[in-house]
Order: sequence, then C-alpha cells, then structure tokens
Amino acid sequence: MSVAAVTATTEGYLLVLAIMWPVAGILVALVVNGRNIERVAYIVLPIGFAIATAVVMAVAQGGQSQIYVVGGWAPPLGVALRADGISAAMMMTTAMVICATGLFARGEFVQPAEGPEARAPYVFWILLFSIWSALNALVLGSDLFNLYVALELLTFAAVPLVCLKGQKETIEAALRYMLFALIGSVLYLLGAVMIYGLYGTLDIGLLSGRVRAEPATWIAAALMTVGLLAKTALFPLHLWLPPAHAGAPAPGSAILSALVVKGSFFLIVRIWFDAMPGHLSFAAAQLLAALGAGAILVGSVLALRQQRLKLMIAYSTIAQLGYLFFIFPLATGFAAGIVWSGLAWTGSWMQLFSHAFAKAAMFMAAGLIAEALGHDRIADLGGIGRKLPITMFAFALSGLSLIGVPPSGGFVAKWLLLIATINEGQWWWAAVIVVGGLLAGGYIFMVLGRLLADPLSPLVIRGAVSRSRELVALSLAVCAVLLGLVPLQPSDFLRIGR
Amino acid sequence: MTMLADMPAVMLLAAAPAVPLLMIATAIVPRARERLIAYLPFAPVPAIVAAITVPHGTSVVLPQALLGLTLEIDKPGAILLGSAALLWMAGGIHARSSIREQVGRFAAWWLITLAGSLGVFLAADMIGFYFFYTLVSLAAYGLVVHDDTPDARRASSLYVALALLGEALLFMAFVLLAAAAPGGSVLISDAVAALSASPWREPALLLIILGFGLKIALVPLHVWMPLTYVAAPTPAAAVLSGAAVNAGVVGLIRFLPFDTAMPAWGEALAVIGLLSALYGVIVGVTQANPKAVLAYSSISQMGFIAAVLGMGLATGNTAVPLVVAFYAAHHTLAKGGLFLSLGLLDARSPRYVWLVLLPAAVLALGLAGLPLTGGQLAKMAAKGPLGDGAIGTLAHLSAAGSTLLMLFFLLRLNTTVPQNMAKPTINPPAAAWLVVAFAALVMPWILFPTIVGASWRHALTHKELWSASWPVIAGGVMAAVLWPRRAILRNIPQGDLLILAERCGPAARRVAVAFERTDDALRQWSVASMCIVLLVLLTALALAAS
Amino acid sequence: MTTATLFGLCSSALVGLGLFGVIVDPHPLRKILAFNLLGSGVFLLFGVVARRGAAAGLGGDPVPQALVITGIVVAFAATALAVALVLRLFEPEAGNAVESEATSAGLEVDGGRS
Repeated sequence: MSVAAVTATTEGYLLVLAIMWPVAGILVALVVNGRNIERVAYIVLPIGFAIATAVVMAVAQGGQSQIYVVGGWAPPLGVALRADGISAAMMMTTAMVICATGLFARGEFVQPAEGPEARAPYVFWILLFSIWSALNALVLGSDLFNLYVALELLTFAAVPLVCLKGQKETIEAALRYMLFALIGSVLYLLGAVMIYGLYGTLDIGLLSGRVRAEPATWIAAALMTVGLLAKTALFPLHLWLPPAHAGAPAPGSAILSALVVKGSFFLIVRIWFDAMPGHLSFAAAQLLAALGAGAILVGSVLALRQQRLKLMIAYSTIAQLGYLFFIFPLATGFAAGIVWSGLAWTGSWMQLFSHAFAKAAMFMAAGLIAEALGHDRIADLGGIGRKLPITMFAFALSGLSLIGVPPSGGFVAKWLLLIATINEGQWWWAAVIVVGGLLAGGYIFMVLGRLLADPLSPLVIRGAVSRSRELVALSLAVCAVLLGLVPLQPSDFLRIGR
Repeated sequence: MTMLADMPAVMLLAAAPAVPLLMIATAIVPRARERLIAYLPFAPVPAIVAAITVPHGTSVVLPQALLGLTLEIDKPGAILLGSAALLWMAGGIHARSSIREQVGRFAAWWLITLAGSLGVFLAADMIGFYFFYTLVSLAAYGLVVHDDTPDARRASSLYVALALLGEALLFMAFVLLAAAAPGGSVLISDAVAALSASPWREPALLLIILGFGLKIALVPLHVWMPLTYVAAPTPAAAVLSGAAVNAGVVGLIRFLPFDTAMPAWGEALAVIGLLSALYGVIVGVTQANPKAVLAYSSISQMGFIAAVLGMGLATGNTAVPLVVAFYAAHHTLAKGGLFLSLGLLDARSPRYVWLVLLPAAVLALGLAGLPLTGGQLAKMAAKGPLGDGAIGTLAHLSAAGSTLLMLFFLLRLNTTVPQNMAKPTINPPAAAWLVVAFAALVMPWILFPTIVGASWRHALTHKELWSASWPVIAGGVMAAVLWPRRAILRNIPQGDLLILAERCGPAARRVAVAFERTDDALRQWSVASMCIVLLVLLTALALAAS
Repeated sequence: MTTATLFGLCSSALVGLGLFGVIVDPHPLRKILAFNLLGSGVFLLFGVVARRGAAAGLGGDPVPQALVITGIVVAFAATALAVALVLRLFEPEAGNAVESEATSAGLEVDGGRS
C-alpha cells in the first residue's frame, strides 16, 4: 500500500454511494409515514445490493483497489475511501445478509393495520439502514479517526436492535453491550490519538510507511487492538454477547451475529496487515490466537450446556469468532509471499463469510421455531422438525457449515487454516480447530436430535409460520454451503489491493 | 489416471453416487417424499451396473461446481462397490415392506447414507472421499434413531458422538497428507505416495488408523457397534453392518502405504486386529440377542481384516488391497444376508422357519470359512498376506472362534424365534434375500481366480479342504461343550467397555461445570473490564517481545 | 515541567479515574459519567498532541482540534443513548407497556425460567 499521491479511480464514486445510499433511505424514512417505511425499504435494499455488486465487479475487473478521495483533498489532510479485495467481499456479504434479513423481517416488523403506529417496526428499518451504512464506511475507510466514527455509528445502531422488543431483560442486555462497547471505543480512540501524536497522520496508507518499532507504538497498538476485541466479543471479553444476541428479535440477532461483530474484527486486520504490517510480534500473534482458542473451547462447551436455543447459538458465535483470530499467527508471512500464509488469509475470510451466512440462517431458523412454539427450550423442541421441515433443513445446513462438513464454506475455511497451521509448524492451533469442530458437531446434533424426535406431548403451534420466511433462512444456509465450492487455493480476489 | 473417451462408462461412474442424491432432491415435494421409499431398491442400480461393466482405471474429474471431485474405479473398488450395491438393493426391498412409520424421513436418510456408502469406493481425491465418508457416517444417525425408542436414542447419540470423533481424526489426517502432497494435490494416490517421505508420517498414520479403526470398530473403539446394530431397524442394520462399515475398510485400503514396508505400524495393526477378532468372539457368545451376536461377529471379522491389512503393511505387500476387498465383499453379503434373515424370521410361521434358517446357517458358517462356501475362498485368499508366522497361525485359529460364535448365533436365533411370533406380521419378500445369500456363496468362486491368480479347483484339494475344515470342527466341538453350559456365561451388557466409559460421565460433567463457572466468573462486569486492562498490558508486552 | 507535560499528566489522571469508575462503579449512570471522564482525558490528550503543529510556526495543529470536536459530538451521542437506555430500564412500568407487543410476536418473555 504505497500511497505517495492518492488519486481517485474512475468507479470510486460507487464507494461514496455505498455509504450514502442507506443514509438517504433513513432521511426519506424520517419524512414518510411510518406505514410506508417498508416501501422505502423495498427501494433501498435492491439498489444498495446493486451498488455492492457494482463495487465487487469494479474491483474484480480492475484487479486493483477502487479509491475515492473525499472533496479532492488527498491524505493526510483529506480522507480517502478505498475498496480492496477484502472490503469488496465484506460489502457483498453485508449486502446479501442485510437484504435477506430485510425480506425475513417483513413478517416480523409490520405496522398494525389499525390503531396507533408501533415504534418497533419503524425503528427497525432505520437501524437496518444505519448498520448498513456504518459497515460500508467501516470496510471502506482508510483513516483511523474516520474508522472510529464508523465504529461508533455501528454500535449506536446495533445497541437499540437488541432491545427493540422492550422487555426489561433486553434493555439490560443492551445497556451492558453499550457500556462495554464504549470502553472499547474509548480505548481505540486513545490508541489512535497516540498514533497521531507519534506520526502526525491517521491515514492507514501513510502510516504503513512511517510506523517505527518503539514502546509508544506498542502501547497505542495494544490499546486499539484490545478496544476492538471488546467490541468483537472475543473471549474473555464476551460478557455482553450472549444476552444481547439471544435477547434481540430474530432479524436483529441475525445481523448482530453475522455482521456487527465482524466489523471490529475487520478493523483489527486493517491495523495489523495494512497500517502496521510486519509489526505484529510472534508473541502478540500467539496471544491473539490463544484468546481465539479460548473462545473456541469455552464457547463450544458452553453452547453444549445451554438449555435455550438462542443462547446456544449465541455461544456458538463466541466460539466461531475465535477461529478468525488464527489469521494473526498464520497469515503474517502473507505479504512475503509464503504460500500457506495465503491459504490462511483466504481461510480466515472464508470463515468470516460462511459464518455470516450460516449464523444469520441459524438465528432466523431459531426465530421461526420460537415463533411457532412460543418458546425455544431445546428439551421441548421435539417434533417441530416435522412441522417446519424447511426451517429444520436450514438449521441443519448452516450447522453442517459450522461443524466444517464438506461441501461448505466452513469446511474450506478449516481445511485451509489447518494446512497453514501444519506448514507453519503451529500444530497446537490445529488441535484446537479440530476439537472445536467436534464440539460444534455435539451442539448441532444435540439440537437436530431434538428437532427430529417425537414430541413428548402433542405439539401446539401458536402461529402459522410463513413459507417465504422459511425460504429466506434456507437460502442463506445454502449460501454458506455454496461457499464450499470454491477451489481450495489462495483466492486472487481477496488479495487485490495488497 | 486416463480420462477415457468412453462416455457411458464415465456417466455410470458419476451416476452411482449421483442417482441416490438426485432422488433425495425429489423429497422437497411432500407427496413425493412419502412415496420415495417404494423406489429405494432402484437407487443402487447404476452402481451395480458400473461395478460390473465399467473398465477398471476409468476416471472422471467433475467440474468445480461439483467440488471438482475425481471419481475413479479400480478393482478393489469395483468389488466393494458391487457387493455393497447389491446389499443396498436387497435392503431397500426389505425396507419397502417393513418400514411403516415416518417412511419419508427414513427414505431420505437411507438415500444419503447410500450415496455416501457407494461414493467412498469411487472417490479418488481426499475432499471427495471425506465428503462421501461424512455422508455415510453422519446420515446413518437417522437410520439408527428411526424407531425413536430410548435405546435407539442412546445408541444414536453414542454413534454420532463417535462418528464425529472419527470425522475429526480423519480431517486432521487428510490435512497432514495434503500438506505433504506435492503441489497441493488432493489426489489420494499422490498424498499416499508422498507419505513415506513426509515429516508428519507418524501422526498421519496414527490418525488414519484411529479414524478408520473407529469405523470398523477395532477394540477398544468398538463400543458403538452392538448398540447401533441392535437399535436400528433390521434393513438398516443389514446395510450398516454389511455395506456402510466398508467405508472404513476402503479407507484403510486407500490410505495405508502398502508399497513401503512399515513393520512397526503393520504389526501393531495386526495385533490389534487379532485382539478384536478374539474379543468379538468372547463377548459375542455371552449375548442373548441374535442382533448383538451378529454385531460382535462384525467386530471379530473386521479385526481379522485389520490383521490382514496390518501384515500387508508390515511386509509392503501391494496385493493386500485386492485380497481385503475380496474378503470384505464376502463379509458384506454374508453379514447383510444374516441381518435380513432376522427380519424374515420375524414374519415366518414356525413351519417354514427352516426355509430361512438353513440358508442362514450356510451364510453363518461361511463367515467361519466352511468348506465349499464363499467363505472358504475368502479365508484362503487372506492366507497369503497373513503368512505362516505367529500372526498367520492365530488368524487361522480365529476361524474356530468364528464358528463357535456363528453356531451360538444360530442357536440363539432358534430360541428367540417363538417369542417374536406375537408381533404383527410384516412380510418382506424373501427373494431379494435369497439373491444376496446366493451371491455370498457364488461370487467368491467367480472372482477367486482373478484375486490370487489360481484356479478355484485349488480350493478343492484335500489339503485346502482339511485346512478349512478343522477350525470349523474345532469350533463345533467348543459350541457343543459350551452351549449346554451357557448359563455360566454372564450376559455382558451390549457395548461392554462402554459401561466402564460411562463411569467417566460424571468426570466429563465436572469439566463442563468448571467451564461454566469460568464463564460465569468472566461475565462479571468488573472481571471482564479488568480483563481489558490486563489484556492491554499483555498485548503491549507481547508486542515489545519481538 | 512544560505545559505539554502538565496537560499530559492531567489527561492521564482523567483516563485513570474514568477507567476506575467504569470498572468498579455498579450503578449504570455513574458508569456513564465515568465514561465521560475517560473521554475527556482522551480529548485533552488530543489537545496536547495538537501542540505539535506549533513547531511549524503555527499556533497549533488544526487537525486534532477538528477531530476533538467530532469526538465530543460522538461521545455526547453515546451518552445520550446510554442515558436513554438507563431511563427505560428504571421506568416503573418498564417492559409492561411493550409486553403485549412481545407476546403477539410469539416470544415468551421468561421462557427459560419456568
């Protein structure tokens, strides 16, 4: 990333559009009647999807990053937006999950036909657009302070999503999430301030050329990294995640688990692979991976012990996030052209994307089950598989991706990561990855066994479940499976721009 | 690896696993799902045709949209494929008339297991092998749990736990193989060829033997087998015991490097195999349930196969894959046939019981190598790799144990038949079963010359006949002595060592509770926020330590 | 002691106090106040950093000043949101007003406890 003079590329305007389009949706939503907000969504979602597709096409065809220089002021004075391979892929994943969630939420967040307007449906759509805009800003930003703002926007939009239903428990969960995330962001900001003090710039491209190995840099980097870990809910900083993700309504949980926690992870990767490449010491990389390993083991065992389906899925998210952190010890040789580092790089992103699809599908399936039964106690799920076969199928497919059964994105991710651990000589991470898959198999089959079993007492279905919403969950699960069809090689697309 | 221009052959090869998978796709329509079970016998037809007609060495590389799988047929693969497909067909005919509840679901699980079971014999790359192996391992869960009784639930939970463990072990093994393969190739042949020079040879071999050892139920990894076969509906038990278990056999055939002599690994495998062979007999004779006796017989037979494979590995004998495939194919038909006969006995009136019992007796003793049965030839073929040493002699002696166990099976069968008479009768057609029984008897005679390169007449010499007879006679004498005294044999619970393992349950629970306590503590606000501060310091220190 | 050092020490003290409050204070409102203290410390540090520009003959580096203003706005928004949540939490009828909405969507409020 040498940026002597940053100039905009021809399709750079798409990047601004990607961030501003959902914001435009919010502005329109504020002036229209609450009953029409769903119609606004039908316009915002497909066009936003088209923008993300266009960015991916532009990046793929150009074979290089798309750049936009805001206001024509080049860094360090101005701010640049850039879309490289990973940001384009993140944008695509975001667009797919958000559009699917929008379709899924149609049944859940409708205005009552009569009486006063309800607040939750109105707020939901606005939050959805905000999250979309914030995530796009986060993956496109290349200025540490701008990224801080994007990160805060993301948190502010994510927190109310938790307590949309307004029960006391969910408000508590939201508050806990909010306060913990605030500690994280203030630490990040402190680190960024120190970086500015040291190097006089916050632009990632410029920093990569200026960063020196000195104690102040280490402290600043540690502050930023750990602040972001708190927002990613990496073990042992995961206290807020289970109640928040399990308490949110199903579409909210899907977005939170699939996308929001990945945003801050993306930023950690940006710091260590783009802003300070080569400065992550072996010990620090091992520390991050060790936390990931702890997340996998503790999260998976706790998932096995849960009695509520949504809590089980939330703990599974904690575990699955752990795999992402193997990118640090395994892919650091990536820039130097070491083959298996490229494998680990691709494998980690595959884990991120496939988990996004699988987990969104799984939370949707859990939401549909809870809707049909009025509860989500795992022990009493018997027989629901017969009533909701499509939902069960969606759950099973996404579960298989989480376990890492071929063909699925989860399998590709684990295969590539494992090959990298072996070549890197860090077999201890391989053991954790394998045990994690085994434990995931345990909690997935625990639920599948209940879904398939005969009901203990005749099932009472509280409400009809719409077929189209079941199909939305299934299609996301199928996306996770289809990711398994990519070749088991380093992806060229994901290394565009580096 | 020549891609022949022979389109029909290539299509057949791909159709063998694809047809059952395509049949499942129809299950999306609920009405089609309910009728699917009637078409189960047709699912393995392409595989049977492929096993007989496709020339060995034919291979096909599927497009990337189908995972880029490579399918290839060779002689051991064809033998295993043909015998397994035949059993699946007979099992399908049986299931069509004997499964009455939840037929749609049963058919779906059946077809997935079937696709995996046939696919493993054809997969030439590790990803494809792992894919099919996963299908056959995990989908069998649905067959085992079908009856939804407490026993079925316990058996299926245990089964799936160990199947997942096996999957995990093999995943790691394949990664180690792929990491050492030249140019990132995932072809099994490339990976195995590179294994002897691989820096990860020892762990890879260990994982391969453990992973596939779980599937073929080598002692002490055998605990799932008796529970599973007893709990599964009869046709499912037949195909699992006969066909699905061969996924483990073919795995060992494909992944052990028989072109390099590895005495230590080979002899270790052979010794474990013989222990299993013996163990299966000893525990098997104490079992009252004929299905459990058959399950222990499978443990014993698979132990014998492991002994042959082990000796092959120890001496670097490249003929072993073919011999083992031959032996395993006979076992498929004989064991599958015996399980199916149990289903038939349930339905027969006492007068005609002998019509089933007599062929069943021939099948059962065939497993012990009774002269003139297919089993005699199977044992004869195995003699070569086993050699004349201590292992060879012990393996030969194990035939006496098999005879004993099989006679006990027949006697147990006879004593349990009257109890089953009260059951509402379902009447599976006997013809399909007779075809399997006949194939078990005849198929080895047809294939024998192509396996060992000697005429089948060789089997009829006095020396060979006597060699095959005396273990049977010895087993008969043991049975005659033991049967009247069977009361002294304490009925060992099915799954034997499992009962010991279950004592570890509280310990495992304690570990889980400890994890829960850790999590509870870490989710305290003050602890978690202190963790942040601590982590900042740790990370800064770790960054400084460069 | 230069002014820069003095301000730096002040900001460190603020950060330390804020952090202490956020960690040990059980009441959410006090946590929010402590967070603001923490934020002020960071902003003060940013102000000190702006002195760098003084070396180039300017009164100060303008970039941090612009960023601090943005940061204050963000921190204010965060405080507002957090306080709103606290208010909702301590409303006497918290949960009741919206409970019917929750049950109509099919979720049992305390499914796990029964």
